[in-house]
Amino acid sequence: MESAIETRCLDCVQRMDRFFCDLPAGALQAFDLIKSVASYSRGTVLFRQDETARGVFLLCEGRARLSVCSETGKRLTLRTAMPGEVLGLSACLSDGPYEVSAELLDNARVAIVKRKDLLHFLREHREACLHVVHLLSQDLHVAYDRVRSVGLGRTRRSRLQPVH
Amino acid sequence: MLSPYGLDIIESCLTCKVRADRIFCDLPASALQSFESIKYATAYPKGAVLFVEGQAPRGIFVLCKGRVKLSICATDGKTLILKIAEPGEVLGLSATVSGKAYELTAETIDPCQVNFVKREDFLRFLRDHSDACFKVAEQLSDKYNNACHEVRALGLSHSAAEKLAKLLLEWSSKNGEALKQEPRLKLALTHEEIAQMIGTSRETVTRLFADLKKRQIVQSKGSTLVIRNKAALRVLATNG
Repeated sequence: MESAIETRCLDCVQRMDRFFCDLPAGALQAFDLIKSVASYSRGTVLFRQDETARGVFLLCEGRARLSVCSETGKRLTLRTAMPGEVLGLSACLSDGPYEVSAELLDNARVAIVKRKDLLHFLREHREACLHVVHLLSQDLHVAYDRVRSVGLGRTRRSRLQPVH
Repeated sequence: MLSPYGLDIIESCLTCKVRADRIFCDLPASALQSFESIKYATAYPKGAVLFVEGQAPRGIFVLCKGRVKLSICATDGKTLILKIAEPGEVLGLSATVSGKAYELTAETIDPCQVNFVKREDFLRFLRDHSDACFKVAEQLSDKYNNACHEVRALGLSHSAAEKLAKLLLEWSSKNGEALKQEPRLKLALTHEEIAQMIGTSRETVTRLFADLKKRQIVQSKGSTLVIRNKAALRVLATNG
């Protein structure tokens, strides 16, 4: 279930503690203009693997499970995303489909930015682009850890253990 | 200039003829000029290790010529090849940006030309040039997508046969052969290395290839592999 909420990032008290959100005032104002905030109930799927990337989802409140799925429907949890994380970034930047599925584990508040607006915003605001580069680097470290545990884990249990 | 490894070294990014075709290298003139002043062009022989998993990040390596094997290793020495990097790729990016240890080992499988940039210089370069920053974000996104693909292939495939079939189909789709009835691909890796790409043993790969040949699904001519029955390979890739 979705409901629209009006919230300005400039007024957010948690902004300073969150890597992506801690932007200079100019960039934040621009971000406020391109985002829409909505609340979703637990269990909502924000996006599915292989869907064309429509935009990014910034988790303001609530957690999301990121998973990959086989053609036969078998699912493997990649990790749990926490508040402050931006989901769907790499798909939007590479103009491909979402490479994972994101399902909310809690009732959540999510800021959504359309792909086209995000790309324009990142080109205009260098600090935001640098933050995105850092976030993607962290995501990549976690993904490589997951490759290691799945590909080199000795036991089935260690292979399937999700990363938090 | 000819290097000791028979490479025709590209001395300057500004005069590089293939620059426009490579995502990271296709930068505006001012960014390219800055990059030129911080990079060190180096030639490596086949088998050289550019960086090792767990090592503190020294900087990035832009692969100009040749190919590089990217692998991760378990504590018991078991190796998994994640990818064969092609010219134009930037290696060691995420470690250099985050300051965390290199998460992979990079080893040349051909004589290579590599442009190395020190970590501090690279971070300053990114802060000063938003175009370059955007291109780095694009490269990181591709690497992330590749890592997710790898997790999916390794974690959700039922059998080694399924993984090998997927790998062969993926390779044949990359070199423009995908639309052909009998795609051909050059096997640049040994059975041992293919085993390390799909997380199985060399013996299993050799057995699987023998089986594929016996069933006339593939045929090998020297180092060239011809996929004779694409439909059967697809069935294997889906059902194992």
